[in-house]
Amino acid sequence: MSAMRILACFKVTPDYEALRESEWAVGAAPSTGATGGSNATGAADAPLGVDTRYVRRILNCFDESALELALRLSDSLTELGGTADLGALSVGAPDAEPHLKTLLALGFARAARVHTEAALDFAPAVTAALITAYARRIDRSDLLMLGARSDPGDGGTVPFRIAEDLGWPCLTQVTEVGPLADGRLRVTLMTDGGLLRLTARTPCVLAIGNAVVSHLRVPTLTDRLAVRDKQPAVLDPADLDVDVAEELCRETSSLVALESIDRRRQSMVVPGDTPHAKAQALFDLRLKSLLEEL
Amino acid sequence: MRFTAVLDGTTGGAGRRAAALSAFLREGLSGEAAGETLVFYNDQRDRDRLVELAPTPHIRLVKTGSRRFDHMAEVLVAAAQTSEATLYLFAGGPAGTELAARLACRTGGAVLSDALSIETAPDGKTSAPRILCRKSVYSGHMIGRFVLSARPWCVTIDARWGDAAEAAVPEHAALVRTVLSDVDETGDADAPPLEDIELVDSLSGSDLADCRFLVVAGSGAGSRQGVARIAEAARRMGAAFGVTRPAAMNAWAPLDRLVGVSGTYTAPAFCIVAGASGAPAFYRGIEKAGFIVAIDTDEHAPIVRNADAVVLDDGVSILEELADIIAARRDAV
Repeated sequence: MSAMRILACFKVTPDYEALRESEWAVGAAPSTGATGGSNATGAADAPLGVDTRYVRRILNCFDESALELALRLSDSLTELGGTADLGALSVGAPDAEPHLKTLLALGFARAARVHTEAALDFAPAVTAALITAYARRIDRSDLLMLGARSDPGDGGTVPFRIAEDLGWPCLTQVTEVGPLADGRLRVTLMTDGGLLRLTARTPCVLAIGNAVVSHLRVPTLTDRLAVRDKQPAVLDPADLDVDVAEELCRETSSLVALESIDRRRQSMVVPGDTPHAKAQALFDLRLKSLLEEL
Repeated sequence: MRFTAVLDGTTGGAGRRAAALSAFLREGLSGEAAGETLVFYNDQRDRDRLVELAPTPHIRLVKTGSRRFDHMAEVLVAAAQTSEATLYLFAGGPAGTELAARLACRTGGAVLSDALSIETAPDGKTSAPRILCRKSVYSGHMIGRFVLSARPWCVTIDARWGDAAEAAVPEHAALVRTVLSDVDETGDADAPPLEDIELVDSLSGSDLADCRFLVVAGSGAGSRQGVARIAEAARRMGAAFGVTRPAAMNAWAPLDRLVGVSGTYTAPAFCIVAGASGAPAFYRGIEKAGFIVAIDTDEHAPIVRNADAVVLDDGVSILEELADIIAARRDAV
């Protein structure tokens, strides 16, 4: 069995849950006073008028599952007597660098970032074009693994766009993946009709959904020291023959405005000094009549 | 504007998807619009039922392989070349997203997923026709307005349109439907890229979508045991039980219990949320609840502001007390 070249792609996003609700309300105001900074992420958030430069960065949760599942697939291939050649890719700002270093320490043979200052948060076609070009021209991947969706656009179209460009099948909402002895993959995925398990051939794109495997393993200090001299590659879109400005002009949908959402309700505090008293007050408040209705 | 609503009838859940499309055409699509439904089916026995489900009076049927979305996309591309439709509407979900994205890529059209609404954008003499779609962005913290330019516009609708309460309307059932064409395309498909397909779990037994009384546990439950105690309290109260994504990702409950954007959208009359911060991606799954109670030790958690009533305490303790009170009352009756 020849080595399966697996490319796992990920995005680093601000942790939006770390922002207060009042900051989102500011974001809905006309954006002339936008405070987005000059780095790519700040620029991406400029229409919001919310400065997220100081919000901690996290891995998109579905991408984190994709990275860990890629490692587990590699482990399983090795157990079957095969090998996997793991690559990691991120598109955008230098926020991804620490994660790329971590992935090198975890056994990824290649880690790369396509650097662009352009705001690609709502430009899935450009993101897909860059990933496709990297997979085809540089990585020569057999299998692409990435999250089914990512913030802030949450469109879920990037995996399918890549699959269309490459002419590969795409399975989405994947929750598990394992190798078969003949090089094919046994994949579990959530579909509209239920949970399916099926066999797929490479090359293909796997878009990861609600996998129970949701945390990327942590490298040991020894792992980190072993790759201390290894740096992730940084590529320019021009290296991939992609003109980002031109591709952005070709985007067929564009974000033109943002609206805030007021979800506030009454927030009446249920009185009581003990859990029993509070439960009784809650029961008397609404639950009693509801249970009678039901 | 002319549209084609696309209904995948080759996989389970077609009834819900059809009802969602019907609700969206009625309430989500504004401006003058007329169109038909293109129904993909696989099993002859499903044909008549799918015709009855279609959200428009005029229907075109295409027989294809089950789950052959690659082939369905080819059929849609061919249809787009001759159809006057500029808008292709798909039910939300993985299949809809795949079909919409593939159709747009192959035709040079625009794609947008999970639309809350669509309106026709002003069509001035100098600008080409466009549509304006609203959709949730930034993890549900905001609504984005998107302009779609290139046609065909390939749009999937937000999963909330699948809420049974919204979708069940008598007008939908009363439509007089006409089948304009019925074509068998099964012979034209290439060899399937996927093999040995096995249905592990139909997930159709979930009681969450239609429940009237719901209890949801978040990661504040602290452990698998905490979540199990909340689930048991919910059972004793006669409530459906769900969890937030962080709780499900900790494997504290099965994935089919997941409430929120990546799980089930619910609309109960009464909803108790215990130990969840109330992140929008979860909250959107309960925002149609009639009355929301938050039980949380953190008075600053977003769920506290977004609940009708708040109990500032430990979720497990309160829910077990509540279950005792309800059980005692039942015994008394």
